[in-house]
Amino acid sequence: MFNLYETKTAKILKISDHVPGIKLFELGFDKMHFQLRFDEDARIYPGQFIMLSLPGFGEAPFAPCNKPGKNLELCIRAIGKLTNRMHILKVGDKIGIRGPFGIGWPIAGAQVQSSKFKVKNEEKKNLLIVVGGLGLIPLRTLILGKNEFLGKDAKIQIFYGAKHPSEMLFRNEYESWQKDGVNLQLSIDKVCEDWKGCVGLVTKLFEVVSVVADARAFVCGPPVMYKAVLEKLKKYGFADEDIYLSFERRMHCGVGVCQHCGIGSHYVCKQGPVFRYDQIKNVQGAI
Amino acid sequence: MLTRHKLEDFILFLQKNGWDVFGTQKRENLLEVDHLKYPADLKLEKGVPFYSFKRFFIPEKEKLFEYKGHILKAEELAPKKTAILGMNLLDLKSVLLYDQVFEKDPYYQARRRNLLIVGHSLIPDMSQNIFEMTLEEDILEHLSFDIFLAEMSFAKVPAIRTKKAKLINEEKDNGEYAVFTGSLLGQKILNDFGYKDYINIQFSGPVKEGKLDERMIKIQDKLKNKHNQKIWDELGARCIECGKCTIVCPTCFCFRIDDKAGLENSEGERQRCWDSCFYQEFSEVALGHKFLNDTAKRIHFWYYHKFARIPEEFNFMGCVGCGRCAAVCPVGIDIAEVLKNIENS
Repeated sequence: MFNLYETKTAKILKISDHVPGIKLFELGFDKMHFQLRFDEDARIYPGQFIMLSLPGFGEAPFAPCNKPGKNLELCIRAIGKLTNRMHILKVGDKIGIRGPFGIGWPIAGAQVQSSKFKVKNEEKKNLLIVVGGLGLIPLRTLILGKNEFLGKDAKIQIFYGAKHPSEMLFRNEYESWQKDGVNLQLSIDKVCEDWKGCVGLVTKLFEVVSVVADARAFVCGPPVMYKAVLEKLKKYGFADEDIYLSFERRMHCGVGVCQHCGIGSHYVCKQGPVFRYDQIKNVQGAI
Repeated sequence: MLTRHKLEDFILFLQKNGWDVFGTQKRENLLEVDHLKYPADLKLEKGVPFYSFKRFFIPEKEKLFEYKGHILKAEELAPKKTAILGMNLLDLKSVLLYDQVFEKDPYYQARRRNLLIVGHSLIPDMSQNIFEMTLEEDILEHLSFDIFLAEMSFAKVPAIRTKKAKLINEEKDNGEYAVFTGSLLGQKILNDFGYKDYINIQFSGPVKEGKLDERMIKIQDKLKNKHNQKIWDELGARCIECGKCTIVCPTCFCFRIDDKAGLENSEGERQRCWDSCFYQEFSEVALGHKFLNDTAKRIHFWYYHKFARIPEEFNFMGCVGCGRCAAVCPVGIDIAEVLKNIENS
């Protein structure tokens, strides 16, 4: 019988020092049949997650963020037992991965897994991404694979809020994103030297930038962010069915059994982590 | 008919054939489930044992892997053959839930294949049977067991409470049992033992066709669609989050997975153990945010799981109505009362 707690071994191929306290790990798998890739015969879809396992230090869920067709990448902040351990590992060290789990962002192909995520409003081809802090990570694959996932004509606008300019993730890529037609809007929480852009929470951007038309909104960030962002989205006329939110929760099993990630009648690991707003707006404790 | 004498022979037969035999026994007036040393110790009676039979299905703690460096090694799954005698109807109901929840779990499945479940028909009194479960004619078709012993006072005169029937009922241990089987394993073991006077029951799923429990639907609807914060604020103010209810509850199955370091460097065990949604860290994520951040939210989570989420997943309640949680609650929270409040809110 298949053991769902068993992990596959992956090797750390490259570590990029990104932002203080945050590292990007590129991973390769020992066996070709377990290449976790975002590509045509995708084994994994943007917005899904994997469980990272470091025996002795436990397991936790992470969303891969690499470019489609490339090696799996995890962007990890050293914050607890597991992630601090991850940060002292070196190129060549081996780790465990299980998954992928859950349902990711509603894009062509990904809906196959779950009919409930069929995009209702087909003419809304554009995308507004509203993210805060580490919430940018589960959307990077989508940004890097924009043409494959959304089509050449689709526009992406990103509202990204961070504490401080030095904490902005993937800074070295912004130029190439913009070249690909991504409209990137940044905001930092507090005034600081050398920053000429928007200051305020990510919701401030709604007031200073015109929001892309004909768009669905994908939202991901720290728990406190959701309420405020939803308020703005509703104010700007987004229908509940056009808003998708990725939730963070504690997880132990990843397959809808252990109960830690339960919200209402759903499991974030199984029916999520991405939910359409109308499905969970009346669920106690979801937002 | 299986006489008490023959039943004790059967226990000896199981022991001789390598089964680890557990059964309900009386210890200082408390019904407990423990190793059956002597067949005569088996006590079949109306009450539910203080602790449920949960640990036979989901142990408090179990090893998933041994690890060395980054390598996880799963133990070869060969659990000991274990027979549990004296499961009442309510506890038998909880088996339906375990079987659904752990359907794809290799550790559970290996354990389950080596379990012999022997149930009996004596129904607990009201305080331990809050949903008033009765011995209906087709009840066995919707329970999961290997062997079932129907106490004759019930089997013959189910509804009529004559003086005589009551008398037999009270002297149950001298009674005779009609025997039913619910699995091939049950049949095989009885055949091997040399007992043929049984009726086989075909399991037809945990839920009666087209017949969802009305009370379940009502409570589920209230929880899902008519959230009443007052109930949870009041309970939150009373509950002290000791987690006793989750330990004695036969249907509380949530767990955590922990790595336990061994003596050697980079060696140890990955373990799965019981958890409780009443504990603070249950919903805690990196940076310390807790999604269930007060007692009211946590006790709501407990009830919601049993009476809304499980019904949604499996079409039956995540509560068998045994009242164990009420019996151990240090602040007197009575589940029967809470459910009435939810229904009437």
